[in-house]
Amino acid sequence: MKAITLLGITAIASLGLAQDHSGHQMAGMKKQTELPAMPRDMPAWLAAPGADHLFYKAAPYNWAINRIPKFAKDMYATGVGHAMAYEALVRGEASTLETKTFDTINWVLKNQPAMPVDEGAISPTFLRKYGYLEKVFDWAHTLHFQTIDVFAHPGWTDEQKEKEIERLWAFYEAQPYAITGLPMNMDYLDSFSYSMKFRTDYPKVNGLFWGYHWLQTVNYDMLYRVPVKDQAPQYEVLGARYHETELYKTDRDFMPMTAEMSPRFAKRFPQIANAFDNLHMLHDNVNDILAQPQLTEAQKQEQVKIAIYRVLATTHISETPGESEGKENSLHDHRHPPSMPGMGWMKGSEDDIMWMSGMGWMDMSACSHCSIPMPEGNPWGATVSAEGWTMMVRCLMCARDMAGETPGRAIIRAATNDPNRLLVLISDEEGNWTSNIDGIVFLEKYGEHPECSGWSRAFTTLAALEKYVSENPEYKDTKPLNLAEWAALNHGTPDTYRKIDKPNPYKPGPPPAKGGGR
Amino acid sequence: MNIINTISKSLALFAVIGTLGLAPIASAHEGDCPYCKMKLVQNTKEQDNEVVLKTGNKRIEYRCMYCVIKDQGRYKGDLVVYAPSEKVGEPVVLKRTGGKWAAPEGAVFLNTFKKHADCAALSRAFSSKAAFDAYVAKHKVEGAKALTFAEFAEAVTKPAK
Repeated sequence: MKAITLLGITAIASLGLAQDHSGHQMAGMKKQTELPAMPRDMPAWLAAPGADHLFYKAAPYNWAINRIPKFAKDMYATGVGHAMAYEALVRGEASTLETKTFDTINWVLKNQPAMPVDEGAISPTFLRKYGYLEKVFDWAHTLHFQTIDVFAHPGWTDEQKEKEIERLWAFYEAQPYAITGLPMNMDYLDSFSYSMKFRTDYPKVNGLFWGYHWLQTVNYDMLYRVPVKDQAPQYEVLGARYHETELYKTDRDFMPMTAEMSPRFAKRFPQIANAFDNLHMLHDNVNDILAQPQLTEAQKQEQVKIAIYRVLATTHISETPGESEGKENSLHDHRHPPSMPGMGWMKGSEDDIMWMSGMGWMDMSACSHCSIPMPEGNPWGATVSAEGWTMMVRCLMCARDMAGETPGRAIIRAATNDPNRLLVLISDEEGNWTSNIDGIVFLEKYGEHPECSGWSRAFTTLAALEKYVSENPEYKDTKPLNLAEWAALNHGTPDTYRKIDKPNPYKPGPPPAKGGGR
Repeated sequence: MNIINTISKSLALFAVIGTLGLAPIASAHEGDCPYCKMKLVQNTKEQDNEVVLKTGNKRIEYRCMYCVIKDQGRYKGDLVVYAPSEKVGEPVVLKRTGGKWAAPEGAVFLNTFKKHADCAALSRAFSSKAAFDAYVAKHKVEGAKALTFAEFAEAVTKPAK
């Protein structure tokens, strides 16, 4: 009885700390010292032992992911890897994680299953102990797969697909296991006494997990408003990068975020981007809790439930994206960068400025190549994917030249004169580009960078370019360029480019001699 | 339409100026070396420092000659490397064609850095031995040895002890 009373007092005393902790905004939050305490309004289903398994929304697009076979198999393998690691953790085999378990997972990643594998068959102990967690994971993973299926489904227009994605979100959000689509303060969610334990003690397996998150988030811009025929060729580039590099990175500062990897998708569907990031953060929290040897089994169970509670949609009913309502650096801090509603608040963020692992400080409202603010409306600009990152740029020239100064293959996705036709360019190692639109023509009359989105454009036909020129006579003497002529140009890094020189918030101390920028 | 264009251009310029207030002004081409990840060393009025590698349509900047040779394996095609020399604007041009390197006759190379932070000053190309000697004397480089390109490449690529 005394123990229960003491526990209750401790719980009440630390409730505020757990749920409304305020930290140091600029330098990032300090790690909390007490374990979070059980909230009073924990949903009842978290104590129910039933499987309560939910399944896909019935739809004609289900399993369309298999139209991109390599991608589908890589996605199926991620579930196996997660399950194997969790099973090792809950069976007291953590000491094998970086060796035997890593090797087994790695084998699966190279010899992927041809269809989804029931994680319960791989991690029965984990499922028995943490079935309520599996419900949350499983339901969010279903959203992952079904949104991909919609985009990979042939025969629907982009508008039909976008409406269906919204219906899928409503279908997902209506269930009790749904994760909130609000942006969350990632610094807060990573500030608990157990936080960072897993990535510190098991960097190789954590690298795999974050590699999965890279794959699970990078694919959306590969698919979103991209014709089905143009999706698989992009995965040749992204899949190679995933297997060669992203799975084995152990130097990331933080998990990959959806808006970093797929900024177009995150801007269009911020609630889904946020839900995926919150899901991935829950994964990190669970990893950290299970990797804490000093926690008892009961404490682990309790902390996992609290971690689930934090990200559930039901915990944040009536809260508003972009608002913190005086609760900065707390559970109810839903600020986001002004230009990116699909991104939670990151360590050291200031408005649109945030630290991106591998890129340094970036301004999400500005072109990553010329630092001029992104254009509003159409043409919206382009994105460049290379070396594992995806960045927004103002114009085709910025996209090409940014890719041109980066080693390796690259993908450009760019607006054209036709809002319904996305240009997808893929380059080889030497910057030779192929296009998804035959006969694509470019206008490029090099001038002042603040105007680059006017004089550097792509057109689906020569007639469309000529129409634009007739409306903008300042370009009447500019020769239209075919793909090869355009690809051979390179204006280097523009004089307007400004690097934000601040230290890495994840690595306190003086600014590092290396890194820190593009 | 023109008024709107003018206003939007002005706003863009204004925003750039705003950005300038936020971030320190950096020179053009500022970035990190793809190999060592350290900051590229900018050219100055007195001395070029940026090493430029061209392959196909790509133009990639490196911090020093050492980094280029170390990283060359990632490129399958032919390469042209513009290595800063003792003369501003007159790089030593190296070519790798069909996997075989060629350097201008008389060009020599320095490779004596102990810390990578010193690589841009101590892993360099020179158009002649006389230029090499002048640089070594001016900068009081200890243990400097003039290497042919073949010797330089071998020194860079030999396995660490």
